[in-house]
Amino acid sequence: MSSTGKGNVEPVESEPTRGPPVTADLPTAWGFLETGIDRIMLNFTAGMTNHYYVLCYTTCYNYCTNTKGIAASGQVGRGATRGSANVMGSDLYNKLTDYFKRHLLKLRTASDSLSDLALIQFYFKEWTSYTRGANYVSRLFTYLNRYWVKREKDEGRKGVFPVYILALVQWRDHMFYPLCSKNNKLVKAILQQIENHRNGEEVDTTLLKGVIDSFVTLGMEDDSAVRRASLELYKEKFQTPFLEATKAHYKKESQAFLAENSISDYLKRVEVRLEEEARRVDLYLHSSTSKALMNRCDETLITDHMTVIQEEFQKMLEADRNDDLARTWSLLARIPDGLNPLRETFEAHVKKSGLAAVAAVAAAATAASTEAGAKNDTVDPSAYIQALLSVHKKNEDVVEKSFKGEKGFGEALGRACKEYCNHNAVATTTAKSPELLASYINQVLSKSNKENADEANMEEALNEAMTIFKYIDDKDVFQKFYSKNLANRLVRQRSASDEAEASMISKLKEVCGVDYTTRLQKMVQDVTLSKETTAEFKERMRQAGDNVQDIDFSIIVGGTVNWPLNAQQTEFAIPKQLAPIYERFKGFYTTNHSGRKLTWLWHLSNNEIKMTYTKPNYILIASSYQTAILVLFNETHSLSYAELAEATQLAETQLKPVLNLLVKAKLLLVEGDQYDLNMNFKSKKIRININQAIRAEKQQESNDVMKTVEEDRKFVYQATIVRIMKMRKTLTHQALIQETVSLISPMFVPKVSHIKQAIDHLIDKEYLERAEGSRDT
Amino acid sequence: MVTLTTNDGEKFEVEKPVAERSVLIKNMIEDIGGDTEPIPLPNVSASVLKKVDTLVLEWCEHHKADPMPAVPDANDAAEETRRRNIDISEWDGKFIQVDQEMLFEIILAANYLDIKPLLDLGCKTVANMIKGKSPEEIRKLFNIQNDFTPEEEAQIKRENEWAEE
Repeated sequence: MSSTGKGNVEPVESEPTRGPPVTADLPTAWGFLETGIDRIMLNFTAGMTNHYYVLCYTTCYNYCTNTKGIAASGQVGRGATRGSANVMGSDLYNKLTDYFKRHLLKLRTASDSLSDLALIQFYFKEWTSYTRGANYVSRLFTYLNRYWVKREKDEGRKGVFPVYILALVQWRDHMFYPLCSKNNKLVKAILQQIENHRNGEEVDTTLLKGVIDSFVTLGMEDDSAVRRASLELYKEKFQTPFLEATKAHYKKESQAFLAENSISDYLKRVEVRLEEEARRVDLYLHSSTSKALMNRCDETLITDHMTVIQEEFQKMLEADRNDDLARTWSLLARIPDGLNPLRETFEAHVKKSGLAAVAAVAAAATAASTEAGAKNDTVDPSAYIQALLSVHKKNEDVVEKSFKGEKGFGEALGRACKEYCNHNAVATTTAKSPELLASYINQVLSKSNKENADEANMEEALNEAMTIFKYIDDKDVFQKFYSKNLANRLVRQRSASDEAEASMISKLKEVCGVDYTTRLQKMVQDVTLSKETTAEFKERMRQAGDNVQDIDFSIIVGGTVNWPLNAQQTEFAIPKQLAPIYERFKGFYTTNHSGRKLTWLWHLSNNEIKMTYTKPNYILIASSYQTAILVLFNETHSLSYAELAEATQLAETQLKPVLNLLVKAKLLLVEGDQYDLNMNFKSKKIRININQAIRAEKQQESNDVMKTVEEDRKFVYQATIVRIMKMRKTLTHQALIQETVSLISPMFVPKVSHIKQAIDHLIDKEYLERAEGSRDT
Repeated sequence: MVTLTTNDGEKFEVEKPVAERSVLIKNMIEDIGGDTEPIPLPNVSASVLKKVDTLVLEWCEHHKADPMPAVPDANDAAEETRRRNIDISEWDGKFIQVDQEMLFEIILAANYLDIKPLLDLGCKTVANMIKGKSPEEIRKLFNIQNDFTPEEEAQIKRENEWAEE
């Protein structure tokens, strides 16, 4: 065996010109080959001539194919030939294994004195030239790979590898493992480098990548099939300690940082760190590490400090720190269930601020009304709705911008809004919010609203109102109030624009369906129809040559079912000035639509009266009752209460307030029971509207509405139950209640006790019966 | 162009793609980049082998555009079909119609130079020669001396009875 392995540079000229003889024995053949391998492994840059290359290849080929020598030694026959080929192959293979081992032993000894960066550099340099060399050697031994190794593997022998893999295995066993067991100094050195990198120092990322890649390469023991599943070594020897180190590093860092900085700064820091780590994977780690690394970072940087962050979240909400909110959101979104507590906090916060806003409005209203000395601390619907809206809008923005419109937060916002819209300082009962919302819309849609000049403004206001509407529980209450208000607007012709009315109704339809708005729509239709009827009537009158007595007449005919208006229980003597036209219209209408009964709602009518006894001639807009009273004063200037009651036939409940109003407007002067006409009436306006709803009346109205709502609900319960039972025939009590609840809740919040009542009621009426047995209906 | 030198000093000028049908030469050119100096082929020892080379080169020339065979992989299904397939293309069939001695020289050279398809072709041809013949006939065909004792032969026959069916 030649004295090789010292790594001395042999001049190229010293290449042998001839290989060993074809029948060379092992020592001769291997001796020749070893020189060649040395050239490749130790003196790569010197290169190799074609001649030498082929000589080496041929030596290997000859040795493996040469069976003559052994055949000559006596063994003949097929079995013997195969056996000898085996021996030949394994001879060379063992020699090679030995060679790699010795080579690596030398390297290892050299590495003993090294540590840290120097060790990494050494490792990387040797690894690079080793693998490169091994690749060439493997090629030289192609013949061995092709026949002997292949056959061994086909026969299922473990531990035999193609030459290149053999080289890797040797490196792993004689270089890498020893380095790991020896204090694990290689991996530690790498981790130190990464630590330095994390601390902002420059490191040689190419070097790190090379070394870390070698761990991956070392894992692959065999051909492609196994290669995929061969990250084991990398994971065990490197990734695990690396993740540990990561955890330790960030644990320390996050604690130190939090001790000295605000959460807000910490969040920024975490964001930067996470980006860095993601980049680190690209720079020098295996891509499979990415997930584990990120998990570890999330855990250490976020999960471990979650409580602090969540506490801070509350403060962020209060202080509107939207950037911080966004950051918190995106960080906690990385963690499973990390957002849930935030959603809860957010919901509570929205609810709280909603309630606070309402309380502020309520307080302002109370203050204002105490100042004004009014007995009722009614809340201004507009202020109330605006308070609800502003809280909603602000938090909706937060969800959109800071939480990227995430669904969970949207839902939390919805729940919170529902909560504070329905139950708050003002809305002590669930019916209050719908009522106030209805009045708000009434304000918006009324002529008196100055902001309505701009149609876009009005549309905007309606849209906003719809936002609140969606959160309202008792939508049926809203409907009642709304239709009442609508009727008022229509009858008194105070609606700002037909289009706006139509648009509002279609908005409601969108949310609650056709059923919800049919009546409203009918009302609007009735008004349009009535205009036609009026025109037609007037035409008829003119044709008939009838004298209309200087009275301009118009009428609104509405279907009783659709209009939430009741005739008042009182007699009423139609003033004689109005009587003829009343009779005529009655005649006209009944001829056109026989079978319909007209109910005159005098208290809702408007009359314009010219006052001739004052200068200038004021024009009063008065209700029919007022008109009736005032007209009486055409003949005398003074009348007693009894006389008035007699003349008008009005019940006391009606007459009294009307008179009071007239007195208040200073049209009449009262003295005991005697009412006198005020001859010195003065006003700044020429047109005076004295037809105003009376306060008591308003309170009454609201109560009425609630009563009708309660009535209606009973029917809704019953109708729903019957509908369900028609479909299901039999159903357990519990299931029936559940289904009823789910069907009704879009309209209002049903009470289970009410449902039970309704069921009992239906059983009483024999619509339903209890099944024999017990709970089935 | 690549120059190939046989053992007896004869030089062949070949196009690189032709020479690279041999995995040995291909690897060497890749590894050393030595396609300028002549490539010696020392296992070619006599003038008769020069003839073989001529033939081999002829084959390589014909097949130079074929895709290189993939790295041999026993588990590969394609490899399996390739092995089972004993069909030989017309050109190849004509090419391989040589005397027995030449056929064995071709096989040896293909093995040495690592030209798998040519090696397959040679082996398939031999397989076709053997197919359907009795041991006696095969011995005669390849001029093999029967070195089994009668007892050995009887035993082998017993062991391989299943194959006779």
